[in-house]
Amino acid sequence: MMDILQDIKYVIFYPSFFVMIIFPGLLVGGLFILFVIWFERKIAARVQMRVGPYYVSRFGGIAQLLADAIRVALQEIIIPAGVNPTLYVIAPIFPLLFAFLPLAFLPIGVIPEQGSVFSAYYRSFFDPSVGMGVIAALPTEYSLIAVLAVEAAYPIFIILQAWATNNRFALVGAVREAYLSVAYDVLILMSVIAIAVEYHTLDVAEVVQSGIPGIVANPLAAFVFFVGLIMATSRFPFEIVEAESELVTGPATEYSGLLFLFSMGGSYFGTYVYALYFAAVFLGGWYPLSGFPGAVILFLKAAIIVLFSVFLRSVYGRYRIDQALRNSWRLLLPVALASIVLGIVGGWLWIR
Amino acid sequence: MTAQPNVFTMDTTQIDIIPIEGELNVGPQHPGSGHMRIYVKLNGDIMEKAELDVGYVHRSVEKLAEVRNYMHLIPLVERPAILDSIHMNLGYILALEKIMGVDVPDRAQYLRSLAAEINRIASHLYGTGILAVFIGHSTGFMWGFGDREVWVEVLQALTGARVTNSYIVPGGVRRDLTPAIKEMIEKAIRYQRKRIPEWKRIFLNNPNIRARLENVGVMSKEQAIAWGAVGPNLRGSGVYYDVRKFEPYAAYDRLDFEIPVYKEGDAYARVHVRFDEIEESIKIIEQIIKEIPQGNILSDRFFKQIPPTRLKKHYETHGKIVFPGYYASFRPPKGEAISRVEAARGELVFYLNSDGSPKPYRLRMITPSYRTIYVFEQLAKGARYADLVAIYGSLDYFPPEADR
Repeated sequence: MMDILQDIKYVIFYPSFFVMIIFPGLLVGGLFILFVIWFERKIAARVQMRVGPYYVSRFGGIAQLLADAIRVALQEIIIPAGVNPTLYVIAPIFPLLFAFLPLAFLPIGVIPEQGSVFSAYYRSFFDPSVGMGVIAALPTEYSLIAVLAVEAAYPIFIILQAWATNNRFALVGAVREAYLSVAYDVLILMSVIAIAVEYHTLDVAEVVQSGIPGIVANPLAAFVFFVGLIMATSRFPFEIVEAESELVTGPATEYSGLLFLFSMGGSYFGTYVYALYFAAVFLGGWYPLSGFPGAVILFLKAAIIVLFSVFLRSVYGRYRIDQALRNSWRLLLPVALASIVLGIVGGWLWIR
Repeated sequence: MTAQPNVFTMDTTQIDIIPIEGELNVGPQHPGSGHMRIYVKLNGDIMEKAELDVGYVHRSVEKLAEVRNYMHLIPLVERPAILDSIHMNLGYILALEKIMGVDVPDRAQYLRSLAAEINRIASHLYGTGILAVFIGHSTGFMWGFGDREVWVEVLQALTGARVTNSYIVPGGVRRDLTPAIKEMIEKAIRYQRKRIPEWKRIFLNNPNIRARLENVGVMSKEQAIAWGAVGPNLRGSGVYYDVRKFEPYAAYDRLDFEIPVYKEGDAYARVHVRFDEIEESIKIIEQIIKEIPQGNILSDRFFKQIPPTRLKKHYETHGKIVFPGYYASFRPPKGEAISRVEAARGELVFYLNSDGSPKPYRLRMITPSYRTIYVFEQLAKGARYADLVAIYGSLDYFPPEADR
């Protein structure tokens, strides 16, 4: 009997399964996103002299979001005439998938040799560059780049989604996404290169284990990455792709029901995964803790980033696409270049 | 092979713009269109043409006016702009009074100005709210509607209805100002005064909002006059014109106020004009509260017709006018009249032609939004697609008002 329990425990806490499915992956991530949307509505209501969700559940209407999600999920899915039904149905699944998949490469903690619930996997998830095991679905020494490489596929599927719906507003939104994605991907990549140069590594775990948060080592890179994060996940003031008053909902215009939930969930999952990455690389991640408590610390830092990025809705309107592009190429690109220079200097003089 | 251009000799400083043309049907079922369709012809991100397909909420007010009694027309002429109904009502009554030759008591004149200015504040806050949500600023939207609520409540206390008040009747107004309402108005003024700096912090001086509104939809002074812009849009382009100053009606000739004028002519200037007008309106309301003369609120000619028992029951205890039987279907003398009022969105013109029957022979109303249609089309030409909503909101264009 104990053996079976042990086996179940082994399977559940197996990092590949645990990270992707339970924490901080689908289960906790999904619940957290519902909380984020509730928080977004509640904090905006607070700023805007409203109450926000109120009636469902005792505590501030927090179950409202569950109710809304169930309602939207059970709504009829309307497939417009004149679209390819197969592409139409699978298109919104890909953005969600590719918002979520990068999590596989992201280490969310380190495994000490003894004393942690994860210590059983110390050997199989050993990362030679930090000299410890890492809690990651797919441990790799190139996690700094691998996460971004997979995340970079996200906008392609947004464009596919718009193309599959054959709607003009969606197409305009897709063109905006195409322009924007080039701009923010460059910013994000350059700030990450600055970090990679400064820490002499492509491993997130090694950056964290160095004990110096990226925001201290390279504040410019942190700033550029954060703006890139806001743009990449189309939060205000860069909510340009979905711009409601101009493009209805951009690429998701034609979707209803579960498919709409997927396409919206993709954006929130993207924010969440980017925030986890930001927390690990720039905010010191789980350091100095290890094992599960470390992962919780990382999650909390990421949660603050996500909550802050949704709070921006109540402060800003949205920029025009040309303004966003001009700002990112003309103002932020030099800052990103400066962050690389800072990274070279910092990596040469300070961090060995 | 020889016909191919040599890439090395091409002028690389010139960016090649490949025309990508297409049409967008913005509306009538669209979050950014209001009650109409905007037919947008796009070339890339630039609008080559934006055609306003008006008439979606046409309610045939002018034609219906020919088959209704003069009194029954009051609620109807308010309908085109329910959030600016005092002005719609006032313009119609002014034209009617010109035909009837009624003199209105002073107190009623002041009350008309009071209701009109309260309505102007409410309408400007509404317009700002719509502009805010158009450019994605949800806080401005909610604040605009939240602050408007205060003034709408005041209107409700004064007139009995939040919108479509039907407050102004031939010869005067329906209800008197009571001390309780006075206190309510003073409270509302204090609140709005406190709120304006907060508005400036989060909306007017927000760098994001400034980026969206500055140098967008620029209309020069000459263009504004040539295109027939009215109201705050005209004053945002540097033209000093306001019917309240040039052809005073109600109590405006006895009130002291400024006309805010901005010379920039862009969307940002138009928003500023509205905010300054809110402050001016507050000043006007304060003066009215202080200086309002005692007296009757209905012209003696009609007042005398109210039976004494009903006068005692309603007017002397509640300050409410009970309509004399005369109003049911009176016949004004033959004649025609034109009236102009400065509604919240600009100059509103009523033309009334009476043939001596209980129904008007012809009613013509030229609403400020109707005058804005052409301005909108001209400003949208050559602007970016995202600026469509910024121009729309900054002009405070209201489709039902244009359609009538």
